[in-house]
Amino acid sequence: MASPFPRAERWRNRLLILLALVVFFLALGLPFAMAVLWSLVDPSHPWAYPNVLPPVLSFRRWVEIWTTSGLQQALVNSYMVATTVAVSAILLALPTAYAFGRLEFRGKAVAQMLTLLPLAMPLFVLAMFYVAVLSRLGIYSRFLGIAIGHTFYFLPYAIRLLTVSFSGVRQDLIDAARDLGASRLTVFRHAYLPVLKPGLLAALIIVFILSIEEFAISYLVGAPDFTTVPTILFSYLGYNFIRPSAAAVSLILVVPNVLLMLIAERLLKSTGASAGSGKG
Amino acid sequence: MNARRTLTPYLLLIPGLAPILVLMTLVIGMALTRSVTWTDVSGNVSLSLEAWRTILGQDQFWRAFFYSARIGTLGALISVVLAYPVALWLRRPFPGSGLVSSLIKAPILVHGLVAAFLYVNFVSFQGFLNVALVGLGFAARPIRMQNDPYAIGVVILQVWKNMPLAYLILSGSVSAVSDDLLNAARDLGVGTLGRLRRVVLPLTLRSLQAALILIFIGAAGDYTFQAVAGPTNINSMAQFMVRMEVDNGLQGWSLSAVVAVMLMGLSLFGAIALAGLVQVLVKRVGR
Repeated sequence: MASPFPRAERWRNRLLILLALVVFFLALGLPFAMAVLWSLVDPSHPWAYPNVLPPVLSFRRWVEIWTTSGLQQALVNSYMVATTVAVSAILLALPTAYAFGRLEFRGKAVAQMLTLLPLAMPLFVLAMFYVAVLSRLGIYSRFLGIAIGHTFYFLPYAIRLLTVSFSGVRQDLIDAARDLGASRLTVFRHAYLPVLKPGLLAALIIVFILSIEEFAISYLVGAPDFTTVPTILFSYLGYNFIRPSAAAVSLILVVPNVLLMLIAERLLKSTGASAGSGKG
Repeated sequence: MNARRTLTPYLLLIPGLAPILVLMTLVIGMALTRSVTWTDVSGNVSLSLEAWRTILGQDQFWRAFFYSARIGTLGALISVVLAYPVALWLRRPFPGSGLVSSLIKAPILVHGLVAAFLYVNFVSFQGFLNVALVGLGFAARPIRMQNDPYAIGVVILQVWKNMPLAYLILSGSVSAVSDDLLNAARDLGVGTLGRLRRVVLPLTLRSLQAALILIFIGAAGDYTFQAVAGPTNINSMAQFMVRMEVDNGLQGWSLSAVVAVMLMGLSLFGAIALAGLVQVLVKRVGR
């Protein structure tokens, strides 16, 4: 079959793809390669001008960060908060997403817009005065403060993602199951769950990642006792810029989250596919 | 039965919507009330506009205000200007377009702090850029580029992080522009730029405005890029707000609240102004 693109356009596209690859390499590939190199600089052989490459590479910096810094505790804190937030946000979002995705009612558009309010506010303002609210309410647990803040702040994402999943459930399947005398639970299991499952998992993963990555609330509510991975990274980037440590923590923050996000993207694509094809 | 059916959707909204509304009301209410209260040296709190007088009379505040407005505007405009041609290029799928689209979106997955670190690491004294400049003979010795006084680094970071977001928002509406319409314009003798001005821009105006608003709010309220890569002689509004609270003891919260209210105002009115300006421009160039 002949290509739908003329020859000149094919060549132009090839050149532009090459240009995009070069830009990607310079903007992302190279900086990450530099971060990997910096994280492997041996502490007793510093990498300094005029050396183009580190004189000695080792994992000593990684071992040092793991054993002597607060990273282990920060990881535990981050993952505990994120798990709590992901589960709470999904549980709170489910009924609302059902209403948005399956029901028609007066004021629906306004309600949908209102759920997006937190995203239209500068995050540091929200975090700053959220601290004041917590103090006024007498909530002094840093874990609880951060978990509540993250849950409320990331609810719009969970609601939006689950609304799409709910709206993908086919009404004819629900009607058919009901006509055959299926109970509510059976209707849910056979008509709703197969379509909802990928979106539910994707929403869980996305809220989980957003919570792990969130900095403003974690920093302002948690400082100085309750550290998370982003707050540890910020401490390495501040006045005492410890580059090899910052490089290692950056990689710890980015790599697992990118992998999780790719899984979430795949799940979301399958939600779209199953909704479109009526699978399940 | 009928009343129950009518009420059900609203009852279902409560678990998701109520926490959001409560949080926003409490936070905005707290910022507003703190901005009009003043704590004297003996700890007595009274209603007063002293915090407003103090903040609005400070040069540092106005520098931070216009600085954040500038970063927000530049970040939003440059991101959109770069995203448009890419969205137009990838409008119709071709071999390799999926790969390019994924690569463009990749920075969205990178945490802001990590992005700031990668940038600082790249331009620092021992960074790749300096090594390359010295190695290629363009500079005799490494140049100091970190925390540059013109905030070029902050704008680069804003664009690096937000251009993919702009692309994501624009690509949907750009793809939705019908080929028939573009072909009809071409048949009528309208050139590439003319089709962009008269067909694509007016039809994608809403997405363009959405992208500008979202990016402007994020960039004007930025703290992390500024703290890591920004100029050291000026604060962003978010940085100034935090500094006011930390540095001013009993009056800290009131002063910081005024900055917060002004930052919310900047985000709201700045975003509306930018969106309105673009609407006028698109209408004018589309004539």
